[in-house]
Amino acid sequence: MTDGDFLRVSDVSKWYGDEQVLDEVSFGMDRGDVTVLIGPSGSGKSTMLRCVNRLAEAQEGSITLDGEEVLSPDTDVDELRREVGMVFQSFNLFAHLSAVGNVALGPRRVLGLSEDEARERAADQLERVGLADQLDSYPAELSGGQQQRVGIARALAMEPKLMLFDEPTSALDPELIGEVLEVMRALVDEGMTMLVVTHEMSFARAVADEVVFLDDGRVVERGPPEQLFERPEKERTGRFLERIASHD
Amino acid sequence: MAGATRPRTVGERVADADPSAGRLLLVAAGALFWGWLVVSWVNRWLGGPIAPVGEPFVAPDAVESAFAAVPGLAAVAADAAFVVELTPVLAQGTWLTVVITGVSLVCGFFIAVPLAVARVYGRFSAWLSLGYTELLRGTPLLAQLFVLYYGLNLAASVPAALSGVFPRDVVWVAILGFTLNGAAYQAEYIRGAVESVDEGQITAGRAIGLSKIESIYYVVLPQALRYAIPSWTNEFVYLIKYSSLAGFITVPELYYRANQVATDTFRYTAVFLILGAMYLALVLTASKFMERVDDRVAIPGLGANRDR
Ligand SMILES: Nc1ncnc2c1ncn2[C@@H]1O[C@H](COP(=O)(O)OP(=O)(O)OP(=O)(O)O)[C@@H](O)[C@H]1O
Ligand SMILES: [Mg+2]
Repeated sequence: MTDGDFLRVSDVSKWYGDEQVLDEVSFGMDRGDVTVLIGPSGSGKSTMLRCVNRLAEAQEGSITLDGEEVLSPDTDVDELRREVGMVFQSFNLFAHLSAVGNVALGPRRVLGLSEDEARERAADQLERVGLADQLDSYPAELSGGQQQRVGIARALAMEPKLMLFDEPTSALDPELIGEVLEVMRALVDEGMTMLVVTHEMSFARAVADEVVFLDDGRVVERGPPEQLFERPEKERTGRFLERIASHD
Repeated sequence: MAGATRPRTVGERVADADPSAGRLLLVAAGALFWGWLVVSWVNRWLGGPIAPVGEPFVAPDAVESAFAAVPGLAAVAADAAFVVELTPVLAQGTWLTVVITGVSLVCGFFIAVPLAVARVYGRFSAWLSLGYTELLRGTPLLAQLFVLYYGLNLAASVPAALSGVFPRDVVWVAILGFTLNGAAYQAEYIRGAVESVDEGQITAGRAIGLSKIESIYYVVLPQALRYAIPSWTNEFVYLIKYSSLAGFITVPELYYRANQVATDTFRYTAVFLILGAMYLALVLTASKFMERVDDRVAIPGLGANRDR
């Protein structure tokens, strides 16, 4: 299997103090690919995602995005984050801003659009995630599913070339998961490059080009979803998948 | 829950207002109090078009005879006349109390916010901020004023541009003292609020490409300052009362003036009762005002006093 090189993660290691949380992690994605990261709690999935937009600093290895080294000290981190959108498990919407305010903040303050342009762009993005009728609602007035869709719109408004999703549906009530996955599927169809941490196996099966199984900071196994889910090569992968399946 | 938690408009607030007699009385008393103060100040600045500067608007003698004519009020007629006689002095003293409190509070706020932010997010600056707040909160305010006034003799070095704004340069020394001291207390209240903002808020700000400082400015502070309003109001109220310490460095504010009258007339009890009522009125105004501000800036789901 040849690795994609739009996003290439090579031998990335990270420690928190003495504790190694990532151990020579490697995988690659082509433009438009969807890669799903799975693994038990504490295996380093969030940390891996955060290393890509430098919310966490990897100590060893290399990450290149579109040919540019992400981990180099010369990299403009704010510039990098403009190009990499992130969606959080707990939404992290700006609690004092309306939906449109949440989405417009980046375009206004980071991209330097005018107030009106930023608002317009925000309204467009909110329409894209099906929230055209909730522009002026505050986060506390929205359901979890709606909040997460605002979170997605907020990331999309920066017109990123890569989207990171960190368990976007795991804080949601089951009946609200569908609406978020639907928005994510639409993004896949539009050709967005997405690196997704999720345990929604049907989603992974349907849209992932590759699934990476992380355990204890190491890539145990990776491959297309059909292969990894149906015929895992490693015993640990099989055990983990069984555990996940029995939860659903 | 949507509509009910939005900040209300003035019209709605008036419509919703509790029409009880007690409330009406409070509003009327407030209007009378501030009306009297503002008219007195304007009268003084304009050189006394309404009443000669230093004279009450109504003659104390007239008040005394009016009270004496009403059965039941006759006993307090002399006291009423005394109160009226004091009004010009009280108004004059209150002016400085209000100005010193207001200016120090606002200036202190602009020092307190960076102090609080440094304390939470800084490294070296966190220690500086801690040192500053502990020093100013750990030593008596009066001692700080004395150091500025007697020790450093700052009244002598008030810049020419500022000198003459107030009748005495020492007013600036008091403002400086209360600003520096109040900033330390305000910083503590604001720090608590900054710390209570969820860490994910800053992470989300940084994830869209805001720098740390920008995330603090655009995301953390708008939330933290709203959280801080109720406890920050305490500092406002304290400062109104602490401003009386300016009298000890010869600033002719409310306390200083009242104390002078009491010494001159020997009517300590009456004068200090009136003085207490004056401070109470100022404090009530401040807390009502901050309640309004809190209402006005409220955002659904944000802050402890809102329904979640
Ligand atoms: N800021 C941090 N400081 C210290 N240790 C951390 C920090 N963040 C994560 N860790 C540790 O790193 C390891 C990996 O954490 P990470 O959050 O990446 O796991 P995860 O796979 O995302 O788990 P989960 O499924 O629970 O979200 C854990 O042992 C965690 O305790
Ligand atoms: Mg995680």
